[in-house]
Amino acid sequence: MRERHPRSVNFEIPRYILFMTYFSNIKTAVSTVFEGMTITFSHLLREPMTIQYPDRTPLPVKDTLPPRYRGFLCVRPEICTACTLCQKTCPIDCIVIEHSKDEELKQRVMTRFDIDMAKCMFCGLCTEQCSTGAIYFTNEFEASTSNIKDLVFKFIKQGEKVIPYKIPRKKKPAAAAAETQAAAKEKKE
Amino acid sequence: MQPFIDQIISECEILQGLPLWFSYLIFQLIFCGIIFVFVAVFAMLAGYAERRVAGRIQSRIGPNRVGPQGILQSLADGIKVFLKEDIIPTHADHILFRLAPYFIFIGMFLSFVAIPFSSQWVIADLDIGIFYLLAVESLVVIGIVMSGWASNNKWSLLGGMRSAAQIVSYEVPVALTILLVVMYSGTMSIQGIIMAQGAAPWNWNIFQTPFLFVAFFPLFMGSLAEGNRMPFDMPEAESELVSGYNTEYSGFRFVIFFFAEFSNLYLIGALATVLFFGGWQAGPLPDFVNGLLGIETPLSAAIVKNLVELCVFMFKSLCLVFIVIQLRWTLPRVRVDQLMNICWKYLVPVAFFNLVVMGIWMVVVPEYVTDIVALCMTACGVLLLGYFFYRVAWQLKNTKARLRFNPLS
Amino acid sequence: MTESNQPEKVFKTEEMVLNMGPQHPSTHGVLRFELTTDGEVMTKAVPDIGYLHRGIEKLAETVGYVGFMPYTDRIDYVSAMTANQGYAMAVEKLAGIEVTRRAELLRCTASELNRISSHLVGVGSFGLDMGASTPFVHALRERETINDLLESLCGARLTYNYVRIGGVSHDLPTGFIDKAMVFLNHFEPIVGELNRLLSDNKIFIERLANIGVISKEDAINYGLVGPNLRGSGVKFDVRRDEPYSVYPELDFNIPVGLGKAGTLGDCFDRYYVRVEEMRESAKIVRQCLLKLKDLPEGDIMGKVPRKIKPPKGEVLVKVESSRGEMAYWIVSDGSDNPLRLHCRTGSFTSMGIIEKLSRGMMIADLVALIGSFDIVAPEVDR
Ligand code: SF4
Ligand code: SF4
Repeated sequence: MRERHPRSVNFEIPRYILFMTYFSNIKTAVSTVFEGMTITFSHLLREPMTIQYPDRTPLPVKDTLPPRYRGFLCVRPEICTACTLCQKTCPIDCIVIEHSKDEELKQRVMTRFDIDMAKCMFCGLCTEQCSTGAIYFTNEFEASTSNIKDLVFKFIKQGEKVIPYKIPRKKKPAAAAAETQAAAKEKKE
Repeated sequence: MQPFIDQIISECEILQGLPLWFSYLIFQLIFCGIIFVFVAVFAMLAGYAERRVAGRIQSRIGPNRVGPQGILQSLADGIKVFLKEDIIPTHADHILFRLAPYFIFIGMFLSFVAIPFSSQWVIADLDIGIFYLLAVESLVVIGIVMSGWASNNKWSLLGGMRSAAQIVSYEVPVALTILLVVMYSGTMSIQGIIMAQGAAPWNWNIFQTPFLFVAFFPLFMGSLAEGNRMPFDMPEAESELVSGYNTEYSGFRFVIFFFAEFSNLYLIGALATVLFFGGWQAGPLPDFVNGLLGIETPLSAAIVKNLVELCVFMFKSLCLVFIVIQLRWTLPRVRVDQLMNICWKYLVPVAFFNLVVMGIWMVVVPEYVTDIVALCMTACGVLLLGYFFYRVAWQLKNTKARLRFNPLS
Repeated sequence: MTESNQPEKVFKTEEMVLNMGPQHPSTHGVLRFELTTDGEVMTKAVPDIGYLHRGIEKLAETVGYVGFMPYTDRIDYVSAMTANQGYAMAVEKLAGIEVTRRAELLRCTASELNRISSHLVGVGSFGLDMGASTPFVHALRERETINDLLESLCGARLTYNYVRIGGVSHDLPTGFIDKAMVFLNHFEPIVGELNRLLSDNKIFIERLANIGVISKEDAINYGLVGPNLRGSGVKFDVRRDEPYSVYPELDFNIPVGLGKAGTLGDCFDRYYVRVEEMRESAKIVRQCLLKLKDLPEGDIMGKVPRKIKPPKGEVLVKVESSRGEMAYWIVSDGSDNPLRLHCRTGSFTSMGIIEKLSRGMMIADLVALIGSFDIVAPEVDR
């Protein structure tokens, strides 16, 4: 049977108090329901909060997102240094970068930069690693497609070769000073 | 109904040639058809209205895409549900499973036979109309228990059982309250009960004496429980029983459940209007409208009169329906044993008390005192309403809410 | 079994075994209960967990210290910020990394905002379990504003991944403090409204009073944490008793259950502790924001080595998450990846006591009980 807590069946409570609780129960029930009704009624007069996504918003939702919004990833291959740091940090390996030494150009080239957006969890670890800002988040978020393969974003087209960007080397002051010192030494000698 | 049909027949040449019983039959069938359409349209619109009201209560908008302002949403949903596969679970009791929705629908639909729409528009003004209503509404419980049992689903079964216990219990306070009103009005005919009241609020039953005012609540709560409405929607408590007795239904049969539920909403409002709010009593309003339109012929005058009364009746019922809807979106659900507690420990004693005291009152208290009390009660009612709106304004001020009065946005 | 002719045995009724879940509206996720019921009254309810096990702890052993951070979001997606913070603190302690004061304040602000949003979900969905759907939507409406705030802070609405080992990922965006203050001013009356609409409601109180009563001793013995523990009147909060981050400087109360509705430690107390905690968190956020306003701009990341390779050893770090004490235990063997990581969560501990409490309950009470623990199913299984 249902266990009752000792307090709900207390035989020492005098009768008249039980009688009072009977009426106070009715009173609280009626007054709190009344109060609840006033609240819900007052909401009929308030402004609804709905954002009528996608077509009835004053601005496209995309444009209302904050600048830090983590939507789809995008890569500017022109300024990618092919350091593959993003690939290495990604916890779920959804970035694939292929780069190799090209015989014609006698240089390292990137031949593939794929991000599998279906796998990506938008954590932002990759963008933080990038030293040039080549990989960054956009405000795009509408990802539904009928084919999951569409979500593999290829930033370097098949067969295209992209020469990695080289960060113009700026000598650090200390290193520069050491170099000049070394040069001065050479001169002396 | 008969006087109205007689009037039409007397006006219409063709009908006079036909045997009387035949034209009666035809008219009754036509009116049945009208009621059927009314039930269907009302269920659809009530479903839509409920969602819009719920939307605004919850700071949302609600359906507003299908048709102008989403008014066809229920139709779209209905079509969608129709197109669903009609599934009967393998181990279900096929016959009962198929039969149950019709029981529910018939129980609900038969009630409309005795519900008046105006002074003359009522399918059958039975001498024991109110008794008939009570009897017929109980048919619904058979349907619910049947569907719960036949589904061969334990959750449905629980829902069905809850419903049986609930409806059977809540019939007691409802019947007692109805008895009180019957006693006060001295008739069991629904039209008679309405006729015993008047158009003005102080002539309504609810404001006659404090006891009749209190008696309104057992009736209202009882009919909420019988209609499985929040806060008494035990049989389909979705957070406990998934969807209760109609969990396994799909397709057309589910639509019937839906229809029954929403037309029940109207029945709740109409019953309370009949018993307590003066029904279709419109006072001098029909004559005024007739004068305004300059209508002379007795038939059109009768039609206009009935229309005005219909509007009055509908307005009152729909106000109550609105309260029912608002209650649903305000209150949590009670537990099944508390449901029984409320019924047997609170509503039934209150109803009995009212019955007895009202009986004594009718014998002891002279007429003019009742009239004065009625005026005072009406004033109290108005004050209560005023306090309600005062609280509403206070709520808005307290939370510094931004207002938007347009109901359609 | 031999046939018995005794009449009472002939009419013996059977208990019904009911399967509640894994897909059930009120199990808050994929969680299953096996109920043995006698009509509406249960003889017992046994939780069956594991439907959402994703092996997050094992993942930590392969993704490394930095890479595990986004996974902590997924342990408890309703209150990801505190999970972030706990993990970051554990690794910082292990590797001996200092966190700047600004970063601590930012973490604290974000976690407390997140606590409010998490409790809003807890309180709202509890109302939904009890059949009141409006408070739920109102709570989510308020949560939406917090989500917007946190989105502008870190770019995501649910899986924040805001905290980094050694600091946080972003400083405050412009206008954040003002926006947050506007929200807090708006929010405090809303809690009052929520109380008037739901907590004071007689039906709601009756549903919860004296249901699922957990005594102080039981609460401690079964290892309940957080609001569930405090609901039983035990005044224990990691933020105050084993303070971390900037909590020692802040002024806030620890709400405990008072037995307002019936008995101390019933469902209502656990519920009400959450409501009160929202107010306290709002207070904390206010203080943090004021402190941040005064603080000059500064580093948000401490000195972190390029490769986080903590020395051999193990740590246990506790934080007060929205669902109670969340403990991270990390064993390091000196390599890039943790040797073992364990995360102990509030929802998991509350599973243990359900069987005991459920004896003699009604089915509707079980819904109340589960709701009052504010269970998030992925946190149970991890
Ligand atoms: S956002 Fe996270 S999961 Fe997505 S590619 Fe970058 S590191 Fe990988
Ligand atoms: S996107 Fe950035 S991190 Fe990734 S390979 Fe290019 S430069 Fe390196």
